[in-house]
Amino acid sequence: MEKIIALAASLRWQDVIEISLLSYILFRFYVLFRGTNAFRVLIGLTILWFFQQVAVSIGLTVTTGWSRQLLSWGPLIIIVIFRNEIRTVLQASHIKALLWDVSSKTVFSTIEIVVQSVQEMAARKCGALIVFPGKDDVEELIQKGISWKGDISKEMILSIFWPDNPVHDGAAIVQGDQIVQVSVILPLSRRDDIPTYYGTRHRAALGLAEVSDALILAVSEERGDVVVAHDGKLKVIKQKRKLEQILQEHKGVASKKGRELIKEKLMVAAAALFCVIFITGVWFSVSRGGDTLLTLESPVVYLKRDPSMEIVQTSVNSVSLELEGSGALIKSIKPNQVQVKFDLSKAKAGPNSFTITRESISLPPGIVLKRVTPTVVEVDLDVLIEKELPVQIDWVGRLPDHFILTEAEVEPETVTVIGGKRILENISTLYTEKVPLNNLEVQGTITANLALTPASLKIAPDSKEKVTITYLTKLRNQ
Amino acid sequence: MNYRTFMILFSAIHFLLFLPSAVQSQSDTNETAAGDVVLVQAQMCEDIQGQTPQNATTVFSIERRKAICFTSFDPVPVETVIYHHWFHRDRSSARIKLSLKPPRWSTYSSIQFRAQDIGPWRVEITDANGQIFQILRFSITE
Repeated sequence: MEKIIALAASLRWQDVIEISLLSYILFRFYVLFRGTNAFRVLIGLTILWFFQQVAVSIGLTVTTGWSRQLLSWGPLIIIVIFRNEIRTVLQASHIKALLWDVSSKTVFSTIEIVVQSVQEMAARKCGALIVFPGKDDVEELIQKGISWKGDISKEMILSIFWPDNPVHDGAAIVQGDQIVQVSVILPLSRRDDIPTYYGTRHRAALGLAEVSDALILAVSEERGDVVVAHDGKLKVIKQKRKLEQILQEHKGVASKKGRELIKEKLMVAAAALFCVIFITGVWFSVSRGGDTLLTLESPVVYLKRDPSMEIVQTSVNSVSLELEGSGALIKSIKPNQVQVKFDLSKAKAGPNSFTITRESISLPPGIVLKRVTPTVVEVDLDVLIEKELPVQIDWVGRLPDHFILTEAEVEPETVTVIGGKRILENISTLYTEKVPLNNLEVQGTITANLALTPASLKIAPDSKEKVTITYLTKLRNQ
Repeated sequence: MNYRTFMILFSAIHFLLFLPSAVQSQSDTNETAAGDVVLVQAQMCEDIQGQTPQNATTVFSIERRKAICFTSFDPVPVETVIYHHWFHRDRSSARIKLSLKPPRWSTYSSIQFRAQDIGPWRVEITDANGQIFQILRFSITE
């Protein structure tokens, strides 16, 4: 219990937002895809994931590997196989419906328009066939008609099914508040028990209702009755109110009452609670797993140094950090995410001592620092000054035995360097890089770079970085 | 310990002479130093023969075994001392005290080479108060 309280207390506000956001996304997926085959496969994969976790914990190596392979391909399989179903869900929903809930107002008005149109067509004995797809994808079951994509209106429905209209001989498909296709050919039912007074239109309505969860409205030309085909059954609907109720139930916005309503609300609440618990569990297992240790060498970064000072020496250039976290987080650590920083704004010239605290180390969320070595860093700072130094040639190699170097002049004779005051106090000469004697002629001029030791020294902007050496050799007096 | 390993050879040469003022080694001169004593010649050389520096140079092969810093002062109003301060890079290696006697005086000091002496050197010629007359620069090479 104490451990749970400690874990909860360690949550940052960012963590709470993350858990809430992920839980809501999962919940929205449930709302959008519940009842579809894709959702059922997703549930199966979730069960497989639990199965894999159990296999890992008890050490079933082959099963673990097999389930891991299957899970890694799972999302791809779902997207490829159920792409049409996913597309149907996403296309049929408004952005508001995707993020919040289905807008009942639009659906209700759409249903009202359809019912009024159907009632009027029935009264006029004008045949009609209207398909309301459910969660299943009907695209592969029908013979595609003519793309329409018109906002539903009574006038449009009546004109589509007007006998003189070229597209009236087929079904119209309704998605959301639009008629998306017309003149669509539906699969015919092969059942023998259909009453003989039902013609091809009703057989087509039943055919689609048998192979999908779509709801199809058929208006008879001969009798002027309205038939609903759903779940493999045909049902004559005589009352307008009843037809509205059937369509509302099919759209999932039916005004349910009593226990049914309470049951559905409880289901949604349970799903929401499950999403929160599931995401919280996954989040804690990922971010607070603490099952993996990592030792990392992190470079030390010094910030806010006084521009008039330079770092002469540090006791270490990097520190060893022992980190703990879940395997996934530890594996995802990039070197630039871990930094040891020291604020030098209050440091003074001379030796400074800094104790490495948790605040001086930046770590990715969810990673815990277990140990740091060393715990103290010494930083030696010095004030920057300019100093003019004479230049001396650093000769190497040797001349032929019978020659001596009698003259060697350097131009310029002095060079100004910038460096730490305490360093420059102990330097009285600036040497050139090694200048070989072996290649010298009797006399000549050569150029040489300056050797800046220590490397923190810099040539002043107004000084030359190279010097010219003019030399003269003579025969040795024996 | 390092510079104690040197074999320091020095002696005073007593002779009066008027020497040309040409100083041919790479050198830094401070003409206002040391009161009335005037440095008229300062040279790094391989040898001294007949009280004269031989083979003035700025580069000494380690096989030559020694380097000599020759200095000559004129006038020398009163008996005094000067120093030859030898540095290997910026590390002091030897500080040799030499006497000067009126009216003119020439004197020299030398070092013997060891393998670790290869590199750039300088000799600061100063009066008793540390005032620099001149700095001579040279290298010991292979």
